[in-house]
Amino acid sequence: MKSSRLHLNLLRDSEKLSSSPVRLRVMLPVMSLLACAGCLVWWAMLATQLLLVKTQVSSLQDDIAGKEKDHANILAQMTEAREKQAQLDQLEMYSAARNLYGGMFARLAEVMPIRVQLTKIDIPDQPPQNLLPPGGKGKPAWGPTGTVERMSMRLMGRTTKETPVLSLMESLEAPEFTNVLVVVKDPRAPDVSPKVHSFRQDGTTAEEGSRLLLFDIEYRCRPRVFEKAPAQPAGNAADKAKGDKKK
Amino acid sequence: MKSISQMAPNAQRSFFVTLAIAAVAVVLYMFAVQPCGESLERAKQTLEQLKSKKQVIDRDLRESAKIKVRLEELDAAISPYQEAMLTPLLESWAMRAKSKLDLFAAEAGLLNVDYSELPVRALPVPKPLPKQLFARRPIKVSCRGSYAEIVSFLMRVEKELPYVSMQSFRLDAQQDPEMQRSDIVFEWLVKGESTVPDPKGGRK
Repeated sequence: MKSSRLHLNLLRDSEKLSSSPVRLRVMLPVMSLLACAGCLVWWAMLATQLLLVKTQVSSLQDDIAGKEKDHANILAQMTEAREKQAQLDQLEMYSAARNLYGGMFARLAEVMPIRVQLTKIDIPDQPPQNLLPPGGKGKPAWGPTGTVERMSMRLMGRTTKETPVLSLMESLEAPEFTNVLVVVKDPRAPDVSPKVHSFRQDGTTAEEGSRLLLFDIEYRCRPRVFEKAPAQPAGNAADKAKGDKKK
Repeated sequence: MKSISQMAPNAQRSFFVTLAIAAVAVVLYMFAVQPCGESLERAKQTLEQLKSKKQVIDRDLRESAKIKVRLEELDAAISPYQEAMLTPLLESWAMRAKSKLDLFAAEAGLLNVDYSELPVRALPVPKPLPKQLFARRPIKVSCRGSYAEIVSFLMRVEKELPYVSMQSFRLDAQQDPEMQRSDIVFEWLVKGESTVPDPKGGRK
């Protein structure tokens, strides 16, 4: 502290921290005060935002509460629509599998050769359903897994010779029959139709003393396909409607 | 503590004031800023959830008219099936079928017409699975008549009852060609099982 002039030096050596020193004892409280004020401002901003968000939340909650009853109704209607659509799908599967035989039987009488006498026509019943899982354990399934039921028709009868039967089989290849009966003549095909089960002499003698021939032929019928018919494109449906109107 | 005690009284005061203010700042941060920030985050999340919920509600409400139309269409499509569905008459399915088919049998000229029930057959199930399933109730019709009469009966049933399917057909020729024997099995739609689990256990 040697000085040529009078100098009132209030700073101690330990307080000389920068070129323009402000006393630490002043700086520290000011800085902490600023930090405190910053916290307050921060809190105030957050609180304002919270208030705004809470107001929005409350207004949205009121809005939603007002619409909840209508929405519950709509949701119930949506569930109902889904259920009805699923029911309709099953009903349409059933109706898609409906095959008509009446017309074919009526036409059969017309094409029957004179020398053929049918003794039996048989479209056999389907085998009983087994809905139990393999092994027979567990809950039975709600329905069969397959969607196709095979159908067949057996024609049994008598004749005097083979030509009327051949003529009958030829007649059954006409379109009015093939929409019900399936004709696959290729011998390499896995499921040939018609299949001749037997063609033999009758054991009993006919009135004229001659022996009659017995035949047993099986035709495969169009299967019953339990599948929903594909939806018709709107354009096609409109065209069809126009066509119907013209008719 | 020695160094604090060595400080000038002003510096000491400053130090303690700083400490006190810093403590207040820390308390403010811990008990005001931080909880408020967390609350704000939660509120924002709630707001987002509510916004998306409202969007869904508004979208569903806009669809309301479409759903009503769709329901009407579905009702109209299902209604013919429901009308055609076989219901038991005094607990007898065969008697209900008789009440519907006797007229056609009489018109066709069939004789000795007998009706009997066969075990119900399940229908293949669609996806998604409906709560209410439908099934098929086969009714066996045994009758006598000429080939033409039997075929006429079958054609009438096919024409007048569009939801009845022929499941099987058997015609046995008799000595008298006007008196053939026939067994025809017709399938009728009936209400089947419910896929909703029964609270008592088992299937409904």
